[in-house]
Amino acid sequence: MIFCNITICFEKEKGNFYHERRKGVSKRMKKLVNSASFVVILAMMAAGCGANSGSAGNGAESSNGGGSGEKQTTINFIHWRGEDVKIFDQLIEDFEKANPDIKVEMNVFPSEQYLANLQTKLMDGKYGDVFASYPGAQFETLSKAGLYEDLTGSEYIAAYSASLIEAGQKDGKQYALPYQLVYNQPVYNKGIFEKLGLTLPQDWDEFLALNEKLKQNGYIPIAFPGADIGPGQFINSMMMNNNTDEQIWAKVEKGEAKLTDEWFVKTLSQIKELADKGYFQKDSLGTNKDIAGSLFAQEKAAMLATGSYMMAGIKEQNPNISQGLLAPITVSRDKAVYEGIHTTTFMLGINAKSSKKEAAEKFIAFLSDKAVAERYANGTGQLVTIKDVQYSTPELQESAVWVDKKTRFQPRYLISDAKIEKAVTTSVQAVVSGMDPAKAAADAQKIVDQNVKKQ
Amino acid sequence: MKQSKTLYLFIIPGLFLYLLFFVYPTVNGLILSFTDWDGFSSKNWIGLENYKKMLVDDSIFMKALTNNLKFMLGVVIFQTLLSLGFSILLVKNSKSNIFFRALYFFPTILSSISVAFIWGFMYNPNVGVVNNVLGRIGLEALAQNWLGDPELALYSIVFVQVWAHTGQMLVIFVAGLQSIPEELYEAVYLDGATKWQAFKHVTWPMVTPAATIVVAYTTIQSFKAFDLIFALTGGGPVYSTEILSTYIYHTAFQSSEFGYAAAQSMGFMLIIAMITFGQFKLLKGNRAS
Repeated sequence: MIFCNITICFEKEKGNFYHERRKGVSKRMKKLVNSASFVVILAMMAAGCGANSGSAGNGAESSNGGGSGEKQTTINFIHWRGEDVKIFDQLIEDFEKANPDIKVEMNVFPSEQYLANLQTKLMDGKYGDVFASYPGAQFETLSKAGLYEDLTGSEYIAAYSASLIEAGQKDGKQYALPYQLVYNQPVYNKGIFEKLGLTLPQDWDEFLALNEKLKQNGYIPIAFPGADIGPGQFINSMMMNNNTDEQIWAKVEKGEAKLTDEWFVKTLSQIKELADKGYFQKDSLGTNKDIAGSLFAQEKAAMLATGSYMMAGIKEQNPNISQGLLAPITVSRDKAVYEGIHTTTFMLGINAKSSKKEAAEKFIAFLSDKAVAERYANGTGQLVTIKDVQYSTPELQESAVWVDKKTRFQPRYLISDAKIEKAVTTSVQAVVSGMDPAKAAADAQKIVDQNVKKQ
Repeated sequence: MKQSKTLYLFIIPGLFLYLLFFVYPTVNGLILSFTDWDGFSSKNWIGLENYKKMLVDDSIFMKALTNNLKFMLGVVIFQTLLSLGFSILLVKNSKSNIFFRALYFFPTILSSISVAFIWGFMYNPNVGVVNNVLGRIGLEALAQNWLGDPELALYSIVFVQVWAHTGQMLVIFVAGLQSIPEELYEAVYLDGATKWQAFKHVTWPMVTPAATIVVAYTTIQSFKAFDLIFALTGGGPVYSTEILSTYIYHTAFQSSEFGYAAAQSMGFMLIIAMITFGQFKLLKGNRAS
């Protein structure tokens, strides 16, 4: 009978002779395999420890992505708005007709994983010749990594409203151009308000009274998507007048101000008051934006705690609905400074590692054209930051009125540390779930303290 | 007989894959864990700072670890007991038993994301099936905010995990039970043993190897429940469903702290190894006794 395995081969009839010989061979082979593995591991460690060399793609433009004889340059455009694909397809077709030597390849990644995908795509320079990004923490991370091409002085910048492109500036340079303008404040049902004779509230007491009247009349006053975007959106309008210092979040991140200060605890208390009085739908922390949007579209809820970007989708669900924007004023009338919250987002940038910057610039210049921006805005239902654009839909016209009002840039986007931002939105969830506002603020401050040290 | 040296060449593909997909990422991760890499800039060596932060300065990591242990205990206990119980009921190869085994196995073939979407909708407090059915059968008082209540969300997900994988463990236990010789049962029943005594003295000792596999596999599966939790709650509300894998993801891809995430991953690997080792020891001791 013969028993074999890798290290010992034992032949009963031959006895120990072969056993010893095999032992010797297997010992040598074991040493060889071990040494080879060790060398391979060492080589991998050396490769891992070595400095990263920059990716290729600096300087020279390449005119094609493949074989000789091709004149066409293909640029890659990355963003997260799947709902805009149809319009972008039309615009890209027009761009390619006007620029036959340039082809645009568009890739869309869901917003939740956008940064994760963007990071890997931008680094090697082959993708994201033109890419969209969020303001705030994402812009900080990408600009720190040197991934934005400096657009300062480009001709097409003049097409934008100067005050609306500041979010894409850093150290006096223009690195990205915010393309969209959104208002991150609750949407309300004009029809329900008219039916109940409600007017837009000018202070906190009026806001509470409005909610109570809606509740008494069988409506959900505020559809609050607590499971996803609700906390991050609603905190903005709730804090905008409680602390009007534009530097407040920078101070919190440096440890110069705290979340346990009066202004933040008051903000959380007011959110808790709305939840405790039943002005949010039942179990709001288990509701996502799609369900909350449906409650609003079905006219079961009178307000939707999201922003103007939901209005086009709501209209598709219910073409008869008439929508407007309002913001809760959390102070007395005489103390109110801001009327609402705006964000300039969908910031277009050129990948600094791209080898097709010239073609990328042409595409951005095309999108910056007033007529093109108008088609985009009316086709997607989103406001844009380009000057003098004419809006054709009632929702856009309603939202465009807010350009002349005193609105504040979304404070949440001024938090550069993602963990601190999450601590802030989590504290909103905490108070909606019933936690004491002071405790929720203290828990959030604990996370801020853990992250302040590293800065 | 002379062993051909050519035989050793057969281990090269496996060894290559092992080195490429396990050793290299692990070693690379270990190196990264000593840096402050943000995914874009250069890697700066910071020594043990990330480990110190993880153990001392990061309350969310500790919360994620606690949640993970609670999740693991809930899943291991209920999944093991349920799959063992069902397997005892369905061990005989009758047509109805085979049908039920297949029925219980069905959720296993669904992807975790599909399971998450289905249950996310079912658990919805406003339009979901669970609260709706409870209301219609007069049990409205039992309707909950399944995924929105910080006290309940984690256990709601434990239920989904157990629902999705009990069938898989059932198959392992059935195989283990079917390998027990009938003669052992005949012998104990001849001696006057009750059903419980037969289970205690025959079934359980003989099925312990299968139980070891089930417990170890379920433990590792519960630590890997990233996709289910990510899709259902994203770690919320209020970090109540944040487990180590989701927290590592958030640290790396939302906070851009790849070096720190690598350190967390090393800690994660060590924790799983310690727990699995402990389980093997416990079950091996049980088997020996």
